[in-house]
Amino acid sequence: MIRSRTPWWLLAPALAFVGLLFALPVIALLAGAFKVDGASLGWGLAHFTAFFDEPLHRQVYWRTLRIAGLATIVSALVCYPAAMAMVKVPPPWRGLLTALVILPLMVSPIARTYAWIVLLGRNGFANALAQAAGVIDEPVTLLFTEGAVFVGLLQLMMPLMLLSLVSALENLPADVLAAAQTLGANRWQTFTRVVLPLTQEGLIVGGTLVFTGCVTAYITPALLGGPKVLLLETLLYQKVNVASDTVAASVIAVLLLATTLVVNQLLKRVARGAGR
Amino acid sequence: MKRLAAALGALLLMGMAQAQTRTLVLSTYGLNNDLFKKHVYEPFKAKCGCEIVLETGNAADRLAKLEARKANPNVDLVQITDFLALEASNKGLLETIDFKKLKNLGEVYDFGRDPLRNQQGVAYTVYSVGLVVRTDKPSGTIASWKDLWKPELKGHLMLANITGNQGLAQLFMVDKAWGGVATDMSTGLAKLGEVKANTVTYYTQTAQMTALFAQDEAWVAPVGRFGWLNLKKTGKPLKWVVPKEGQVGMMNVMSIVKGSKNADLAHQLIDFWLSKDVQTALANDLADSPINRNVKPKADAVEALTWGKEQIESLVFMKPDMVARERAGWVTQWNRMIAK
Repeated sequence: MIRSRTPWWLLAPALAFVGLLFALPVIALLAGAFKVDGASLGWGLAHFTAFFDEPLHRQVYWRTLRIAGLATIVSALVCYPAAMAMVKVPPPWRGLLTALVILPLMVSPIARTYAWIVLLGRNGFANALAQAAGVIDEPVTLLFTEGAVFVGLLQLMMPLMLLSLVSALENLPADVLAAAQTLGANRWQTFTRVVLPLTQEGLIVGGTLVFTGCVTAYITPALLGGPKVLLLETLLYQKVNVASDTVAASVIAVLLLATTLVVNQLLKRVARGAGR
Repeated sequence: MKRLAAALGALLLMGMAQAQTRTLVLSTYGLNNDLFKKHVYEPFKAKCGCEIVLETGNAADRLAKLEARKANPNVDLVQITDFLALEASNKGLLETIDFKKLKNLGEVYDFGRDPLRNQQGVAYTVYSVGLVVRTDKPSGTIASWKDLWKPELKGHLMLANITGNQGLAQLFMVDKAWGGVATDMSTGLAKLGEVKANTVTYYTQTAQMTALFAQDEAWVAPVGRFGWLNLKKTGKPLKWVVPKEGQVGMMNVMSIVKGSKNADLAHQLIDFWLSKDVQTALANDLADSPINRNVKPKADAVEALTWGKEQIESLVFMKPDMVARERAGWVTQWNRMIAK
């Protein structure tokens, strides 16, 4: 008896800490979204229907899903080949490459985002390059568009996908690729039937991190998108700091959490489906 | 033994003196607090023999805290924009100020003496929201709020987002310039919708606005006077324009929190803050533009302040009660129009 209880005693301080300082406040915050005056039992979904009755809110939600979803897909497409190349590099060089991948994460998000403002400006590098290449005659508006937010988020989140895939691929036994090829699988078949199923955990983890990171990022959409490209997170800030509407803010918090959980499940399905 | 008793007695007295040191809690913005410490808090502490504790943060957070502690307030005095003070007043969070206790109130501009119209707030600073323009671009000829509709400004017109005070001021002046009847701001909102395609962005922070001028993205923007000095430092050919319809005067007020146990000290601090000496020192160090009409800032400070005949006489004021009542509605309308 004593032996079986000991772990709980050892865990108690940590559990109390997490429970009191994390779980309880989060539950209290999320509960605010469901508390409805006048509803039976005092709980209901009235705040959610009211939230989605506003066309702007539907638009903002859809835009957030679209940008985050696209960033997740693109980062998976770009990072799989990159990760496969990285694991083939001998260890000392791989360490250097990993450091280079992590490096942008160490730059303050504000400094990094301001760098994008300089690059994407009318007199910025992107416009100058396109003009020199003869693609455009006049500078085009890149800043404060959905495209700018997408590029900023993609750059911000891609390392998370890459590192997840690299660590999954490192655990892939080297023999299985040779075995698949010996058994007559072409490169595509090797990838879809062997590599993908065996590294699906990396894809699920990376995808969830990228998607969650995109829907909860504040600085990037605030600085590169601005009020024209309102996302859930920037809307949340407005609800709290301008409108003092904490109920709507709780609704958005619940939406963010629920969306992330759903996307995590979806990714599991997709990864397993692809493995079949 | 006697010596010991005397020492104990002295200690006891010191302890009592300590217990009697009163503490005034001031809820304020986080900006320039080193200057306020130098010119206001330290001299006031020496005068009153009391302590001053600051609670800093953005206005929304501080208001929320006041509301949460309504039954048992821990803040004595609050500094905040006039219409937010009125929101607090409407929620029963503020005390009526005894104007008779404010010797320096007579030196305050008329518009600053009782902006809330209920004696629950006194302005301690005022700043103008006018236009800053590039003089070497088509924006150089701008002289009216209506000139923002010039097609040549396409892609270089920068407006302020409605979430900030400059955004509210801009909506108010645009509505007025195009003949609207304030309150619902429908004229102003519709007109600003017309130039959405010309607008590079709607800035939310003064630093962001400054950066976009520095990068040639913006040629014109509505700007709060406190941002002017940093704009000039960008080295771009810029000038401050007082539009012919006028510029908006925004005021920050001081109010006493209902239930404060230090209302007497709070009155003293308000009066001290309004005094010519304190207001002059704050103006010379560019902490705040003066609300005391007798202040004469030093020559090189004037350019960065809302001070002098041209600035003060151009000011148009938004009624705080209208802003407090209608603001949420304007924000909703604005978002529908801008974020589509």
